Parts: sequence; structure tokens; C-alpha cells
Amino acid sequence: MEWLIFGFLSSWAILSVFGVLFLKNPVHAILSFVSLILAVAGMFLHLGAELLAGLQLVIYAVAIVVFYVLVITTVPWEKVKRFEGFYKKELIFGFPVLLLAFVLFAYAVLKGNFARVGMAVENNPKAVGKAIFTTYLFPLEVASVILLTAMLGAILLGRKEE
Amino acid sequence: MTELLINLIITLIKILVVLGVFLGIGAYLTWFERKLAGHIQARMGPKLVGPFGLLQPLADGIKLLTKESVIPQNADKPVYYLAVVMAVAPALLLFSVIPFGPEFTLFSYRIKPIISDVNIAILLVFAFGSLAVYGTIFSGWASNSKYAFLGSLRKAAVIISYEVVLGFSVLGVLLLAGTMSTTGIVQAQIERGVWFIVYQPVAFVLYLFCMLAESGRVPFDIQEAEAELVTGYNVEYGGMRFGVFPLAEWYLNTMALSAIATVLFLGGWSGPHIFGPLSPYIWFLVKMFGLVFFVLWLHWTLPRFQARDITEIGWKIMLPLSIVNVVITAIVAHIL
Repeated sequence: MEWLIFGFLSSWAILSVFGVLFLKNPVHAILSFVSLILAVAGMFLHLGAELLAGLQLVIYAVAIVVFYVLVITTVPWEKVKRFEGFYKKELIFGFPVLLLAFVLFAYAVLKGNFARVGMAVENNPKAVGKAIFTTYLFPLEVASVILLTAMLGAILLGRKEE
Repeated sequence: MTELLINLIITLIKILVVLGVFLGIGAYLTWFERKLAGHIQARMGPKLVGPFGLLQPLADGIKLLTKESVIPQNADKPVYYLAVVMAVAPALLLFSVIPFGPEFTLFSYRIKPIISDVNIAILLVFAFGSLAVYGTIFSGWASNSKYAFLGSLRKAAVIISYEVVLGFSVLGVLLLAGTMSTTGIVQAQIERGVWFIVYQPVAFVLYLFCMLAESGRVPFDIQEAEAELVTGYNVEYGGMRFGVFPLAEWYLNTMALSAIATVLFLGGWSGPHIFGPLSPYIWFLVKMFGLVFFVLWLHWTLPRFQARDITEIGWKIMLPLSIVNVVITAIVAHIL
């Protein structure tokens, strides 16, 4: 039964990835991106990472993507440069990077830290909260400072000139 | 295998019951709302089709179903149709985390009257509540109409600002209950013998505001704004596709969010056992529809806010209030 759910979710995810890559209309592309996020959230739920699935839905699927959607839907696409076929030079240069990344990820999943099966956590939110505010407090603060800087920058850019 | 099969069948039955009951009630809420609006405005309301106009929803349904479907030129057809689904699906999914009563045993199987009792139910409520924004945005965009698109952008601004307030207002209850599961929250209230509205009155009021904003009810119905936007984002939809948007937004969303408010603040299914074995369910429905009635009542009483005012109230008054509420709750809960 497990593989059935996983197969369904992963094929859904891969299909949506192809949608993001190959659909020409930007709105269709962002829609398939939303569907990809939903599929990944489903995978998290299937793996028992309930908190992660919920956060994926709340933060990724809504809070972040909604702003992309707002921008994409309000841009008048008749005036924007059209799709001109694949960028061949970029593809050739990008391919080794992609391959390297794939090898690294594959190694991490098969042999590295990710290969070790962790313990199942009973109370997801509590465990994550404890880890964030004790063990990983410093990275959390650094991340929030980075976000704050980005936010200030956005406000500065969007400010009306007096 | 049989265990799995039985669980699957039980879940399917639960889904069918919830869908049937709440879609049916949703259809009949239209009758109730029109009747109520009529009496508030010193009219009769629907009264010709059937006794007390009770068959009016059926007549409306037949009318909507047999209507010619007109799709605007240059509309993005796949997205145009998909937007209908994206509007209804989150509203229906909200019902999957609502516990209607305590666990009971039937033929030696323990059954919880909730479709999926997950640990993160409240997070899912936020997620589905805000996923509904896609239905609105894309329906406005795909219809290729300026009025529709303006309405959808307004709604998006409202949902984004009030979803944040909603999250913070609920945090106080989560702190007190110590869990994010809806059944857990009701259990916590039953164990303490007190409803969380007593501890969290500010949060409850904020939640009510957010509920009105999320379900697009007056005084937050700027995306409809009949006078300016000719009903806004769904103006280019016809027939049943048009009917689905108000059903999802005005009725299903209102019912689901009222049910969540009942769970969070009004003690869920708790209440004296005066109706026999069915009393938890009756108490739940009484509290839930009390809130629904409150929303409908406001809808036909108040005027509408300006678009600018709504976001301003949300960010400048309600968000600080809710954050102060969370901080005070956290400190008090830590000391006591």
C-alpha cells in the first residue's frame, strides 16, 4: 500500500515539475508550481512529518507563492518578451552543474547523513520547537536577520520618492 | 489487509456523510439567508415555491443547471474551469479536521466523528483558509475582465492580511491547550471545565473579524461590492459555475470557520447530556449555527468598509492587538 501512495505522489510531483519547465504561459507554470508544492506536502504527510507538511502548505503554498501569483497575474504579458525556444548555450554549461548536484544529493541520500534512519518523533511541533530554540538558536537568529534585511530593502525599493 | 479495508470504508462513509450533510445545509442556508434578509428588511422573503418557500433552493438549482453557459472571449479556459475547483476544494477540505463529537464504539470498532484526526489540524485550517485565495485570484484573472480582476485582487489583499491576524489570534488558545489537534483542544476545555472564550475574549473577537473577512461577508465584502464591481471576481461565470462561488465562500466557508470557532472557543461538543446519546452532536451544531446566524445577521445589518480601511484595520489595529494578546497569554500561562 505504501508504494502506491508514494508512487502516486511522486509521479504527480514529477508531472508538475515538467509543467513548470515546459508550459509557456507563466500563469500555467505557477499553477503547476502550486501543484508541485501540494504533492511535496502530501509526501511529507505520508512520511509522518505532519508539521513540515502543514508549514509547507501555510508558508510555501500560500504566503510565498501568492506574491508570485499577484505579480504574474498583474503583468501585461502582451508587452513582455516571448519565449524563444531553449537556451542551448546555457543548457550545455548548466548540465555539468546539474550532474554534480545530482551526484552529491544521491551520495547524501544513499551513504551520507540522510541515509541514517532517524527515530520516529511522537510530537512533531514540540520536538521542532525545542530544537529550534535550543540547539539551533544561532542559525535561527541569523536567518531572521537576513529576512529582516531583505524586508527593509524591499520597503526601501517600494517607497515612493518624496 | 481487512483492518485497512475497514478503516478505508469507515473513512469513506465519514466523508460521504460530511459532504452530503454540509452541501445540503449549504443549499438550504441560501433559503434561510433570503428569508432572514427578508424579515430584517420587513419583506416576506421567498414564499411561493413550496410551503414557506422551502423548495426555493431546488428551483434555484434547476435554474442554474439549465442555464446556457457563456464563457468570455479570450478567457483562459483551463484556468477558468480550474478556478471553480480551487474555490470549492479548500472550503470542503476545512471540514476534514472538524470533530463533531466524542469517540464512540460501533460493532467493536472505535470511531471518531472526525474525518482525519491529525496533530496539526489548526495549521491545516490556516492552510486551507488561505489556499482559497487561489480560487479567487485565478477566477478573476482567467475571466479576462477588469471588474473580475479588481475584485479578486481586493480579496487577495484581505485574505493575506487577515490570515496573519487569524493565526496570531488562535495562538493564544493553542498556548492554553498545549496542542494543535482539534480533538485535543476540545478535550482540554472539557478537562478544565471552562470554555476558552473565558480566557481569550480578545482572541475570540479578533477571530470573528477574521472569519467575516475570510468568508467575504459584510462588512468585509469589498471583493463583491455589488455597486462598484457588479459582484466582483465571479462576474464572468454563469450557471452552476457561478452558483458554486457563493456556495463555497459564503456558506461552506462560514460554516467551517464557525465550526472551528466552536472548537477553539466554545468548548466543541461539550454540554449537558439532555438530548440522550445524540447530545454532543446537537450541542456542537447549536453552537456552530448560532455563530452562522450571527454572521448572516451582521451581513444584512451593517454597511461595507472601504477597501483601504480594511487592510489598515487589519495591519495597524488587529495585528498588534493579537500579538499583545499572545504575549500576555504566554506570560500568564507560564506563571500560573
